[in-house]
Amino acid sequence: MPPFEKPQNSLPFKQRKSLATRKQEVAGIRTKFPTKIPVIIERYQREKYLPPLDKTKFLVPQELSMTQFVTIIRNRMSLMQSQAFYLLIDNSGLASMSLTMAEVYKDHKDDDGFLYMTYASQEMFGHCVEMQKLYVIAGCVASAFGRPVD
Amino acid sequence: MDAATLTYDTLRFGEVEDFPETSDPVWILGKEFDALTEKDDILSDVTSRLWFTYRKNFPPIGGTGPTSDTGWGCMLRCGQMILAEALVCRHLGREWRWVKGQAQREEYTSILNSFLDKKDSYYSLHQIAQMGVGEGKSIGQWYGPNTVAQVLKKLAVFDSWSRLAVHVAMDNTVVIEEIKRLCMPWLDYGGAACSDTHGGMSQLNGCLEGACAMAEEETALWKPLVLLIPLRLGLSDINEAYIETLKQCFQLPQSLGVIGGKPNSAHYFIGYVGEELIYLDPHTTQPAVEPSEELHLPDDSYHCQHPPCRMHICEIDPSIAVGFFCRTEDEFDDWCMRIRKLSHSRGGLPMFELANSQPSHFACSADVLNLTPDYGTGVQSDVRCRQAHCTSNKAPIKGTFPDFDEDHIHDFFDSDRLERFFDSEDEEFEILSL
Repeated sequence: MPPFEKPQNSLPFKQRKSLATRKQEVAGIRTKFPTKIPVIIERYQREKYLPPLDKTKFLVPQELSMTQFVTIIRNRMSLMQSQAFYLLIDNSGLASMSLTMAEVYKDHKDDDGFLYMTYASQEMFGHCVEMQKLYVIAGCVASAFGRPVD
Repeated sequence: MDAATLTYDTLRFGEVEDFPETSDPVWILGKEFDALTEKDDILSDVTSRLWFTYRKNFPPIGGTGPTSDTGWGCMLRCGQMILAEALVCRHLGREWRWVKGQAQREEYTSILNSFLDKKDSYYSLHQIAQMGVGEGKSIGQWYGPNTVAQVLKKLAVFDSWSRLAVHVAMDNTVVIEEIKRLCMPWLDYGGAACSDTHGGMSQLNGCLEGACAMAEEETALWKPLVLLIPLRLGLSDINEAYIETLKQCFQLPQSLGVIGGKPNSAHYFIGYVGEELIYLDPHTTQPAVEPSEELHLPDDSYHCQHPPCRMHICEIDPSIAVGFFCRTEDEFDDWCMRIRKLSHSRGGLPMFELANSQPSHFACSADVLNLTPDYGTGVQSDVRCRQAHCTSNKAPIKGTFPDFDEDHIHDFFDSDRLERFFDSEDEEFEILSL
């Protein structure tokens, strides 16, 4: 599947590049595409269920609604409609789906000129007490035989 | 108490503090109480909720599967609790109270029966675990709030006694038109219905308004609505801007509470006092109740008879699902009105959005995604396509998925077929177009 070809860099975009570089990138691309919004989309570091995207930098038409944008990303990942997918703007709040990219950009753009979004599904809930006990026992047995256990 | 239930988990409840003496209002599932003068009422209200916990020694799931859900079933149990609350509202009413040892109404027994741990109860752990396979969860795997919401939606279809319409609102958006169509399916087919559901929104809205004014016997056709809204209110912690809005949910008369939890432990949140959430905790292993032919079902273990647990609201895991019950169309309209009012008031950040109709792209998402060069801006020379077949070979979208109805086409959209565009100098930039 093309969207998942490349493994995503482990460091967040902001930490990979200096503020000056990022500002420069925005300035350059905004001159060429004044009507498009530079967006960084990254997977939540602890996300286990949603696949990574092969791109993190997008140029998005400013009149695109958040709903349309989310649909594009959902389709990229071939998610079913019943699968949980949330886009958090600037690592904090959920995007209001009726807003346009221009509106979201106006309120949430970073100092470097990018709009940052993180995607995540939902956490799963369970209690690992029993499981941990099992692992501990398995670990004891294995170490008695001198073999490591994952 | 049965000696077998005195597990580590049960003993823990000896430590649960008594309910606080405070002048702060106590909100439980849409009802306000005074902690100083109405303590007995609070406890009686909490005890009346159906409490589902881990059980052991039930018939094996799927014939050969687990006989206990200890360690993995907590979110499934929370799903049972929020749905049971909906059934109580549906068949007994929010004011109904459970009295220990008293003969119970027939409806109550039927509700409880539909949650017993056996394969043929509508909403048994067995049914939920097995239906979860369709959501990608094998039996014994942990669920999230959305997983259990999706499963309950599927199971409710078989419960012809309750006739519930369970709607799970995705993408933090509640679409009113979608719900009206779900709860009044006759609107689409009846004489007054609109034929075109994808175009003519204004016409459709007109019909919906008309429906509100219909005679009582006709509005009785509204299927009682269970609305579940799965959300993520932050990444690792809840964004504090949502805390006031979350509290307000428990104040709405339609509230069914919230399923969620602390990291790894699912809880059913039923209300709050001050900065603390009040919840029912499924983390107690009780022996399964033997289904008996007797009239009286031993039901003590399905009601939490100690003061409810509490935790600071900031400790809540950001992954939740909020629930509401609207028995009639009027109740749903009232809910919409209240949500709109809340979103306009200052204070918290809205957790979800209310939309009148489906955004147009849902019907024609293929067009939105059919990425074409941005000729309008005059920068097409900067745009090039790196895929050899990009200039021709427009993939036909419609009609390629005969097995799925139109609503699902966009779910299975084949992104391979899309043309993708990148900036000529900085190929890290992918260009999206309308």
